[in-house]
Amino acid sequence: MSTATSVHVTESNEAIPVNNPRFGIFKRSYSMAGFGKFMIYVALISASAFFLFPLVWMTGTSLKTVEEVGQRQLNLFPEVAQWGNYTKMLNDPAFQLAYGNSVFVVIIVLLGTVTSICLVVYAFSRLEWRGRNIVFTMMMATLMLPAQATLVPQYVLFHQLRWVPGFNPIAIPGFFAGGAALVFLLRQFMATLPKDLDEAAMIDGANPLQIWWYVIMPLSRPAVATITVFLFVGQWNNLFMPLIYLKDASLTTMPVYVAGKYNLQESPIPWQNIMTASVLFVIPVMIVFILTQRYFTEGIALTGTKG
Amino acid sequence: MLDQPKLETLLWAFGTIVFIFIGSILVAQIARAVARGFRLSPAEQLKVYWGFLFASPWIIGFVIFVVGPSLASLYYSFTDYKLGKDINWVGLDNYRSLINAEGRDGRNFNRAMFNSLYYAIVGVPLQIFAALSMALILNTTVRGVRLFRLIFYMPVILAGGPAILLAWRYMLADNGGFVNLTLGNLAESFFLFNWLYRGFIFLVEGFNGFFIGLTNGNPTGPLTFFLPAFVAFLIIISLIRGEWGDNKREIARRAIEMIGFLVGGLLVAAGLMAEPIDISWTFIWSLMVLAGWAINTHKGHATRAQLWQWLGLGLLIVGFILTLITPVPEGVEDATLGYLTAIAFASLPILFTLVQKIDHRVFLVFGALLVGIILIRVAPHQLLNGKADVLLRYMTFQSAVVQPDNLDYLNTEYIASYMDAAWLFFILIATLLGVILTKSAKLRQYTLIGATVFFGVVMINSAIDGVTYFRAYDHIAQAEGGSNFHFARFNAATSTVPDMSSNPKWLTNDLWVKPSLILINMWSAGAGMLIFLAALKGVPSSLYEAAEVDGANRVQRFFRITLPMISPAMFYNVVIGMIGALQTFEAVYILRNNDTETSVMSAAYYLFQRTFLQANIGEGSAISWLLAVIIVALTVMQFRYSNWVHYE
Repeated sequence: MSTATSVHVTESNEAIPVNNPRFGIFKRSYSMAGFGKFMIYVALISASAFFLFPLVWMTGTSLKTVEEVGQRQLNLFPEVAQWGNYTKMLNDPAFQLAYGNSVFVVIIVLLGTVTSICLVVYAFSRLEWRGRNIVFTMMMATLMLPAQATLVPQYVLFHQLRWVPGFNPIAIPGFFAGGAALVFLLRQFMATLPKDLDEAAMIDGANPLQIWWYVIMPLSRPAVATITVFLFVGQWNNLFMPLIYLKDASLTTMPVYVAGKYNLQESPIPWQNIMTASVLFVIPVMIVFILTQRYFTEGIALTGTKG
Repeated sequence: MLDQPKLETLLWAFGTIVFIFIGSILVAQIARAVARGFRLSPAEQLKVYWGFLFASPWIIGFVIFVVGPSLASLYYSFTDYKLGKDINWVGLDNYRSLINAEGRDGRNFNRAMFNSLYYAIVGVPLQIFAALSMALILNTTVRGVRLFRLIFYMPVILAGGPAILLAWRYMLADNGGFVNLTLGNLAESFFLFNWLYRGFIFLVEGFNGFFIGLTNGNPTGPLTFFLPAFVAFLIIISLIRGEWGDNKREIARRAIEMIGFLVGGLLVAAGLMAEPIDISWTFIWSLMVLAGWAINTHKGHATRAQLWQWLGLGLLIVGFILTLITPVPEGVEDATLGYLTAIAFASLPILFTLVQKIDHRVFLVFGALLVGIILIRVAPHQLLNGKADVLLRYMTFQSAVVQPDNLDYLNTEYIASYMDAAWLFFILIATLLGVILTKSAKLRQYTLIGATVFFGVVMINSAIDGVTYFRAYDHIAQAEGGSNFHFARFNAATSTVPDMSSNPKWLTNDLWVKPSLILINMWSAGAGMLIFLAALKGVPSSLYEAAEVDGANRVQRFFRITLPMISPAMFYNVVIGMIGALQTFEAVYILRNNDTETSVMSAAYYLFQRTFLQANIGEGSAISWLLAVIIVALTVMQFRYSNWVHYE
């Protein structure tokens, strides 16, 4: 194509180490054809538009008036942005309650789950004890067991404990290191730390608890961050558990609140309000995702699960 | 800030920490005591103590939240437990009504399973196509790839929550929705796009009308024969191409194994449906045989595998003998014979394992048992009831339906059950065995070609006959005023070619709601994309260079190098996608409305509805066990076969 494209080509050629086997084939096939590169950009950008569009549309709608929402949907953004939608939503007590509940649940679940997983993984990856392989195999076997298998009886259990409706059924099981996939992910990381560290600390007279806290945990921060991010996104988005356990209006979390706003059967449907709540709901996830996207891609490559 | 329920939960959380703390010390002390009992050295005892101390949060949670509930749920699934009511033992009734589609709830469960099947056979390939395309355009060295990867993956994060699904719901509105307006405008501007657009509408409505008609619970007729014939045809064709070698032998072996697994599963399902005996003996034996089969093909340490094989062999022989000496119960003749046929099929893979590993004399004993069962139990039923001549008719291009103008005949007398078609699997297994065991290349080639022709003819003829059957059935049903026949929705959908004013009724019409869900799944296919990307990075570039030297163009390189090399990732994504098709919940919950609910719901959504909205714990437990069995089977398949997909 134009000279501008070819300049890019040479630049990117220099950026790639020639001896890197991964790039060998593409260096040949793409660098020579500026047109091919142009087509790839076209594909990348149009695909990105497709992927980003619902998000943009959501934001645009949240700034519209009732009249604009009722019209045929041709304008992406409103003529005048209605920031008032947001102040109104932020001042809505029901919204504040749901947001507070969501934050509360997420904090409790994260604290409990991450701490217990770190403890358990330490036993599986750093300590050597008789019976470890048996216990670990059992844990890996639960990876295969789908959540549906234990869902119903757990509900009965919590019902008999008189925990329904309430936060306990969602918050408490986390303290028992639930989530074999995350345990596996963290173990893969912890097992790679050099063995000398523990031995040196042991010679200095530290007990396993001290080694865990002072030696292993500080070194495991990236992996712990990864599982925290996975847990956060999963918990923040979780619609199913709140639907069955938080049926009381004072316990509603954000996913149920947002979904419930649509189900009110108002006419015309107040899409601008629904989308305002949706945008406010999505913001924390988006921020966390953008800041920590490296952890996501690495975590998925490692375990193949999406958390 | 903190109101009553939150404080309560904090208190419980604190209590839980104390509980885990005390419990852990207790578990660790017990473990140390046990270690002392085994006379381990004091240092080892201390290690055991610390190990169990750290691991016991999980151990305690495992007992409380997994082992206990699983057992309880198994028990509940045999009862009619509803919250707050008495528990009555009902035996296998829950399972039976679910599998047999008895009553409204059973029918709904079957609809949910068929919907999941739809997502698996239509949705998963489309999702994989989307994921692979994304991965291929990201697997380049242009600038900003990391940013694009971020954007491509973002929908996965968002699609887990309700917010973006509601945005989709808004965009997909029928009239005045963004998607339809854009498509309509494009169609008005470009006549070529207009044709494509209307063709797309026609195709989707026709196909979904057809699918809904097929899954309405009407008899499938001769189409029952199509699927096994199709599968057999594909397997044989894959063996014909190219050189015969160890890899082909392996394919044939695995094919036999998989068919054994499939038929074994059918067999257990048939055992569950057995009337009127509760937990029938045949069911227990069928479980035994399946377990024997599973154990027998167990892989692992050589000597241990042999031990397991003998155990499986023992189970099988006991199951066989028990089956042989049991009289056929009154009134269950058909089903019982079905199990026996299936037992025979399910055991064949073991035969093959034996030929390779163990004394040939065992094979003789075993073959004699098998032949005995087929002769005594299966053959008379099949031959006397006019089932066997179906294949004969198909081979001579005749129809298997002899009274196409009689609804009674079509509806009740001519019922092709899956066991009739299981003959085809039997022939397939026999062919594969023969092909593997024969030493003569010429004989093998003739067998393969013959089998291809045979299965091809059966496949084509059963498809034609199936359509004939449907047409005849629908013709009479329509004349009698029925509306629930095979092609009812298909005819309505395809009677008019869509005009300029028609547009997709994405979320309000049951013909469109499944494609809508698949569209959103394609939008959020980023997780599969990352798996493909990792696999693409692992393809050694020397292969491409060698191919380029040999003059292979880019398309050839893709199909001959890239695709085979990333086949493990492909297989992984397929299995994960199938499991996801059963488990999808959020999207269904947000996208459904009262009209479309039964045609969009997945198995997981039906479980939610039945258990938590209608408080039916007993049936809910049965559903969750059925789901768990299917998902575990898929996962096991993934583990077993993933190392085999990529063959060089």
